[in-house]
Amino acid sequence: MTTYIIRRILLVPLLLLGVTIIIFGMLQFLQPAERAALYIRDIPKNPEALESVIRTYGLDKPIYIQYWNWLVGQKNPNTGEIHGGILRGDFGYSRVGAEPVIDMIKHRFPATLELAIWAIIPIIVVGVWLGIQAAINHNKFIDQFARVFSIIGYSFPAFVFGLLVLMIFYANLKWFPPGRLSNWVIAEINSGSFKTYTNLMTIDALINGRLDVLWDALRHLILPVITLSYISWATFLRITRSSMLETLNQDYMTTAKAKGISTKVAIKKHALPNALIPVVTISGFTVVSLLGGVVITETIFNFPGIGSAAANAASQLDVVTVLGFALFNGVILILANLVADILYALVDPRIRLSTN
Amino acid sequence: MESRNQILEVNNLETQFSTWEGVVHAVNGVSFNLAEGETLGIVGESGCGKSVTMLSMLRLIPSPPGRIVNGSAIFKKKDLLKINEDELSTIRGAQISLIFQDPMTFFNPVLTIGEQVIEPLQTHLNISENDARDRAIEILDLVGIPNPAERLKDYPHQFSGGMRQRAMIAMALICSPQILIADEPTTALDVTVQAQIVDLVKKLRSELGMAVIWITHDLGIVAGLVDRVIVMYAGYIVEEAPVKELYRAPGHPYTKGLLGSLPRLDANERERLASIEGIPPVLYRKASTCPFAPRCPYRIDHCFNENPKLMEISPNHKVACWVDIENRKER
Ligand SMILES: Nc1ncnc2c1ncn2[C@@H]1O[C@H](COP(=O)(O)OP(=O)(O)OP(=O)(O)O)[C@@H](O)[C@H]1O
Ligand SMILES: [Mg+2]
Repeated sequence: MTTYIIRRILLVPLLLLGVTIIIFGMLQFLQPAERAALYIRDIPKNPEALESVIRTYGLDKPIYIQYWNWLVGQKNPNTGEIHGGILRGDFGYSRVGAEPVIDMIKHRFPATLELAIWAIIPIIVVGVWLGIQAAINHNKFIDQFARVFSIIGYSFPAFVFGLLVLMIFYANLKWFPPGRLSNWVIAEINSGSFKTYTNLMTIDALINGRLDVLWDALRHLILPVITLSYISWATFLRITRSSMLETLNQDYMTTAKAKGISTKVAIKKHALPNALIPVVTISGFTVVSLLGGVVITETIFNFPGIGSAAANAASQLDVVTVLGFALFNGVILILANLVADILYALVDPRIRLSTN
Repeated sequence: MESRNQILEVNNLETQFSTWEGVVHAVNGVSFNLAEGETLGIVGESGCGKSVTMLSMLRLIPSPPGRIVNGSAIFKKKDLLKINEDELSTIRGAQISLIFQDPMTFFNPVLTIGEQVIEPLQTHLNISENDARDRAIEILDLVGIPNPAERLKDYPHQFSGGMRQRAMIAMALICSPQILIADEPTTALDVTVQAQIVDLVKKLRSELGMAVIWITHDLGIVAGLVDRVIVMYAGYIVEEAPVKELYRAPGHPYTKGLLGSLPRLDANERERLASIEGIPPVLYRKASTCPFAPRCPYRIDHCFNENPKLMEISPNHKVACWVDIENRKER
């Protein structure tokens, strides 16, 4: 187990290296003048000044030197200040956001995180729970229902689903508003009468003891959460169902029944822990589809997270910003998969206790 | 043998499976008795319905596709095929226990050996965690697992095949059942370990005074272990006899074939059985001819007209065959 985890952790720097190389490679499609945004806010129009910026930050140097500069930053000889350097947390400047890319991520990530956290609930309830019920009641009504449900989930694109939901519940019924918060809440935050701690509004509302704000945040969350989880629950439903079906047919389930255990206990104690192993395995992968899904979801519902910001930056060809987000996503995915792999080892004693 | 009380009486058991190819008639009217403390051997090639017979008795066949269409299994005046699920649960694992062929797949990989061995105790007796543990250590020790207190915490994959089978036996015996059903418990083990497991069951059988049903491919193994043998073919019982009688004068050509292929101890079980030409049929309807006739060196025309019933040819010796193979004439 320890060797497994150590080996898995040692893989992280390698993966990170891979991600940085890919992203840096994509940056090379830009003109040196455009890449200057990796180091400075205002790119001069004057050709001589531009030339001096390019020289100062080595944008005309061999590619490995540029890569190194991109990693650790480059000193401005006039001011002595270091600019850029992704290892220092400086991803360059966003043209569309008019602020450092990393600040943009800091401002917008909590909204996306909150969305993703809430989206996990329907994924587990609809996906995992329904998958288990379907398998236990194989070929009965709930199983047929789950199958149809998951086919719809697979064949009906998320953006169509999101638009449908938007049209019904927002445009026609006017039940739920778009955006993240109502104006009066934003006003309270700006005036300081509502304090933010985590920037996850549902949690901050609880910390402040403000149920009205909580309700407002939830009303804004519900449609994006449904749309976002829609992308993943069909996968979870299918995997949980087939894994549970397979588990129920295993020999050890016969042993359990032969011992006189009731079906209920046999399912809970013997089948579930085995059936959920593959579900844990794909959970890391789910973070991938969730992060992909936020771009569509946030754009449809005008939700101010990193997904909508990335879409906006892409539409304005702000490549430095888009690739900055891509880098951030890459890091999150690598960490999420690390956690999933370690969890997987923890739930399966055959891996947990293996020595090699 | 007659004087002993019958503890289990199976009558006319029939089990079928619905498959894409049709309805598989896996067990076709099997009847037998088991006396208290007796050891009964059930032999036959792969697929002849040995496991399904045993699992049907305890209603453990997967359903669907399996269906018990007929029969009764009387244990202590109760019909196991009729009583409700709750009542049956109090018998499974407590009074009738099973051990299986492959102790790897029949153990749950994510629970410790200890958790699994203790489970029947917790299910059937009101017993404290500590007492259950003590009892588990005691029984693991009894089946010859060294250092049992430590090994309780191990997972199945950390046990060797032989040790796993011992643990499976411990799990089956922890509630001191009256009947132990062993479904090819040695097939997955190598020869020396096989002998150890057989010796272990012999020892425990006399210590605990239980009846044993021992299923195997291998007539060689059962010789020194069982009192009586039932030979199955295509879901039918084709011969039933005390073990010595069966070896001395097999009444069915199939039994004779099984015995004739015995001496080659070096070959594995399946190879030895393959020395009867052909393979056993899968029946999609009840046999209207003798199911063994196509492979039978003694067959006569009548074998293709009618499936013979089990007939008593001498006291306690029953055979389902139209031919008296010793005298080479029609019965
Ligand atoms: N779940 C099932 N679905 C369909 N057919 C089945 C099922 N289980 C058993 N059968 C059929 O029932 C018949 C008897 O099988 P059974 O397992 O009892 O054989 P066996 O005598 O125990 O063989 P082995 O020595 O290989 O264990 C076989 O033809 C098999 O194909
Ligand atoms: Mg079998």
